This record gives sequence, C-alpha cells and structure tokens, in this order.
Amino acid sequence: MCAEALVRLDGLSKRFGKSTALDGVSLTIEAGEVFGYLGPNGAGKTTTIRLIMGMLRPTSGTAKVLGLDTWRQSVQVHRLVGYVPGEPALYDRLTGHQHVAYCSHLRHRDDAKRAAQLADRLGLDLKRPARTLSRGNRQKLAVILAVMSRPRLLVLDEPTSGIDPLVQQVFHAILLEHTADGGSALFSSHVLGEVERVADRIGVVRRGKLVAVERLQDLAARSLHQVRARFAEDVAAADFAGIPGLRDVLVDGRSFSCSAPQSALDALLKRVSARQVDDFECAEAPLEDTFLSYYGIDRNGGADAVVPAGAGGRDAG
Amino acid sequence: MLASVLAKTLRDQGRSLLAWSLSLVLLVAMYAAVWPTVRDQPSMGDFIDQMPEAFRSMFATSGADMSTPTGYIQIELLSFMGPIAVLLYAIGAGAGAIGGEEDRHTMDLLLSNPVGRGRVVLDKFLAMALGTFLLTAVMGVSLVLEGKLVDLELPPDKVAATMLHLALLGVVFGALALALSAGTGKTGVSRGVPASLAVFAYIVNALAPLVEAFDRVQKVSPFFQYIAHDPLRQGVAWDGVAVSVTTVVVLVALAVVGFRRRDVAA
Repeated sequence: MCAEALVRLDGLSKRFGKSTALDGVSLTIEAGEVFGYLGPNGAGKTTTIRLIMGMLRPTSGTAKVLGLDTWRQSVQVHRLVGYVPGEPALYDRLTGHQHVAYCSHLRHRDDAKRAAQLADRLGLDLKRPARTLSRGNRQKLAVILAVMSRPRLLVLDEPTSGIDPLVQQVFHAILLEHTADGGSALFSSHVLGEVERVADRIGVVRRGKLVAVERLQDLAARSLHQVRARFAEDVAAADFAGIPGLRDVLVDGRSFSCSAPQSALDALLKRVSARQVDDFECAEAPLEDTFLSYYGIDRNGGADAVVPAGAGGRDAG
Repeated sequence: MLASVLAKTLRDQGRSLLAWSLSLVLLVAMYAAVWPTVRDQPSMGDFIDQMPEAFRSMFATSGADMSTPTGYIQIELLSFMGPIAVLLYAIGAGAGAIGGEEDRHTMDLLLSNPVGRGRVVLDKFLAMALGTFLLTAVMGVSLVLEGKLVDLELPPDKVAATMLHLALLGVVFGALALALSAGTGKTGVSRGVPASLAVFAYIVNALAPLVEAFDRVQKVSPFFQYIAHDPLRQGVAWDGVAVSVTTVVVLVALAVVGFRRRDVAA
C-alpha cells in the first residue's frame, strides 16, 4: 500500500447480470488533488463512484480510501468522505437545517455553523423543506451536506449540473479551499468544461474502461492554436512545409490558415514574419476541442460521445 | 428528534402512527357501543352455534361465548379486525424500512454517513417494533377504558397479555417484511409475501381442527402462538412468546446479513 494515495482503485470491475458496467479500472488520487472523471452518459462514472462509496459490491478488484476497503470497511471510509450523489435525493419533509442536524448526528459532529456559512455563500435558505427546493437548490444542499464535515475526500457525481454559473464559481472556490487544506476530490462530469478549471488530472472512461489519464497541464500543452494570416502577396503551401505538428494547412492565394500545437508556434511565426503581413490572428482552441479530437470522440455523436455542456441526459451507469 | 436513524424513522411515522392510533380508538369504541345490544340478544350465541363448523372456526375462537365480555371481544375484535389492523401497520412499516428509502433514492444519502448497514436495519426494526407495541397498547387501553363505560368489563392484566401476543404477531410478520425488504430492496414483494403468508397462517390455525394437514402444522403458525391458548382468559403463554421472539431474532439477523451482502439501488 502506498501511504499517500488517498484513493486507489485496483482492477475494479462491476457486472450487473450479464452487462459489464465497469471493467478493470485502476487509478490513484493523491492528497490535495482534484481528479476530473469524464465520460459519456452510461460509461461507468456513477458505477465507479458508488463502488467507492460502498453502495455497490465490486465483482472483482478493490477500491481503497487511505488503505481502507470501501466495501468491507465502509463505515470507516465514510468518516473520511463527503459524497454528492448523481441525482441528489433528500428527505422531502425535512428542511435544510434538519438535514444538517441529521447528518451531523450520524457523524457525531456539530457542523451547523459551517453549514450555515456555506448556505450563505451558495445562497440557499436552510429553513425551507426539501420538497419546495428547485433542482439547483437541492444540489446546493447536497453539496453543503457533503462539504460541511470537512472530509479528506469529496466524491462528487456531476455536482454542478443544474447549478447556475455564478453559483458554480462559488462551488469551485469552496473546492479550491478544500484542496488547499490538503483535501482531495473525485469530480465526475460528462463535460470537460465543467472540470477543467478545477481538475489537476482527468481520467476518461468509455464503455466501462478507463481509456486515458492525463495531467490537465499536458493536455493544455497539446492544445491547438488556430492560426490565420493574410499576406501582401501570394504564398505557397510549400513555404510552410517542414514545421512539425502543423495540421489542416490551407493556402488560398494570399490567405493562410492552419492548426498548430504550442510547440510549433515559434517556427511558424518566424516563417510568417519573413513575409509582409497584412493581418494575423492566433487563437487557442477550447480545451474541449483538443480533448475531443485527441480521443477521437465525435462531438455530435450519439450515446458514445462526450456531449457539450447542457446537452444530454444523466449517467445511468 | 433527528439524533439517530431510529429517532428519524419514528419521526417519519409520527403522523401515520397518530392516525392509526385514532382509528384503533374509534374501532374499539365501535365494538364497545355495540356491546349492550349483543349482550341483550342471547340468540346471537345460538346464531354462532348454528354456523357451519368451518365458519365458526374461522371467526370464533375456541368456543367463545358471545354473551360474556371476553367472548365477545375475542370473537369480534381479536379474531379478525385486531390482527388485520396490527399486521397492516407492521408489514407496511417493515416493507418500507429499507426498500422505501431506496424507492425514494435517499439510501445513498443515509449510508454515505458513517452508519453501518446493520445499524440501519436494527434501527428500522426497532422503529417498526415500537410502533407495533404502541398501537397494541392503544388498543388495550381503549378496550379497558372504553369497555368500562358500557359494562364491558375486561381484566386489565389479561388484556395486557393479549396485546403482548398481538404485538408479537405483528412484529413477526413485520420482521419478515423487513428481512425481504433488506434482502431484495423490493417494497412490493416485501409487502405481498408476508401479507399472503399471514392469511395462510391464519387459515391454518383456524381450520386446524377440521383439516388434518393443517392440524399437523398448526403449531408453526404465528396465529397459534397468538390466540390458540386463549390469552384473554389464560394470560401470557411464555412458550408462545419464546417462539415468537426467536422467530423475530432469526428474521432480523437474516435482514442484517441480506442487506450487508447486496448492492444498494441508486
């Protein structure tokens, strides 16, 4: 056992009857790290998370939190973990305050003060019964219940879906404070945009398999820049040949455009500036596009695709 | 009120228990109100004597006499309506205990706290058992107090003994419902199977004197532990209590094991 790994999944698999929801997933999450867990709906994100939470029994493999088995030692694990379920269900008849009181009692803690502060920041009225809360407000209450006990690990299944962007920022701030104190988080989403601001690493799961784990910095380094230039006189494609990594080169008379990785920018600029330039434009493509093209996932594709923000249903897996 | 799973479950049942209690007070009041009429009509006893034997076994236990308070209550309340009311509550509470939270998707929230699954099952069981005992206590107190108003004099100690047996009958089937709920998470099955079994157990016990096959298994029926020894006249049958308690302990243990082994529905 590696002492510092907060979460360690080792060949974790889960079958429901004949269908394999999760197939041999191994990964670690270190202290202070936010791990973005990405994948299309039904890919196995929720299954992974519910295995970590001890709600499901692994078919094979193990999931450990600080060396504690999440199935056999679930009570000890839950002392260390705050959890926002994918479809946060609350007790309809209880108010926010009563939810806080119940969970505090079950944790043998008194977190009422911190819960009130969090509710204030997120703009949630804890006096209202859960059944009267909108989807976004239910999500906020679920986040408060998960965060208030200052757990070592936050396990968040699409925590910001249904929350408006301003509140998402508050949530991100809360998450950053949590990691600044040495806490870790597993943050699932079907949209990269939702996790790229907070995640240190991302893992991509497709059809129950972990297909990639990547530092977000590395992904950003590979991000492509859209370069467009217009010259005073005609140019030829051959003028830009031999620059490594250049893609989609398009030359039409005096116009030139291409996609270039960061590493190619220096060489490209020198070739461009060797000529008389009328206009020049260089824009970084959204990380989302880089990510999609890198993993060959069709942006508009069906069930198999990582869908853009706002689209698509919920992860059933 | 929210200090534990037990307290929370009882709190959830608060309104329902209040409604059940009021209904039972009214039910007993109804029987008490009819008592003077029944007492003054000796032909009622003849009517029962003339019933076919199978019918008499079903509705009238061990040759009770309708013209005495104990006989009247035994036939009218304890043989039928009383057990039905208590079983409805206990089976409903047992079946909803685990499966109900899963149906409402709140089990993830509950179990994400450091509470063991065994603890959850035990607390849900205790809530169901306390609720059942509360309802039979309400019924017993109503019988004694409301009976006094209409000269339906019942010995309080024997009423208490009968209610103990009635509560245990409820808790046995409630624990069965809980075990099914914990083991399968399916509320419908957890309600249906114990309800059908209760009807079957009732018929087995009632018709045992007539049907040879039933006679051999009569003692297995929880209704046998409840009423066969005539608790309203004989008081507590400790062997019956022991059988019921043992059954409950086994069923609760199965519930804990069943819930610990399976996946929780999202």
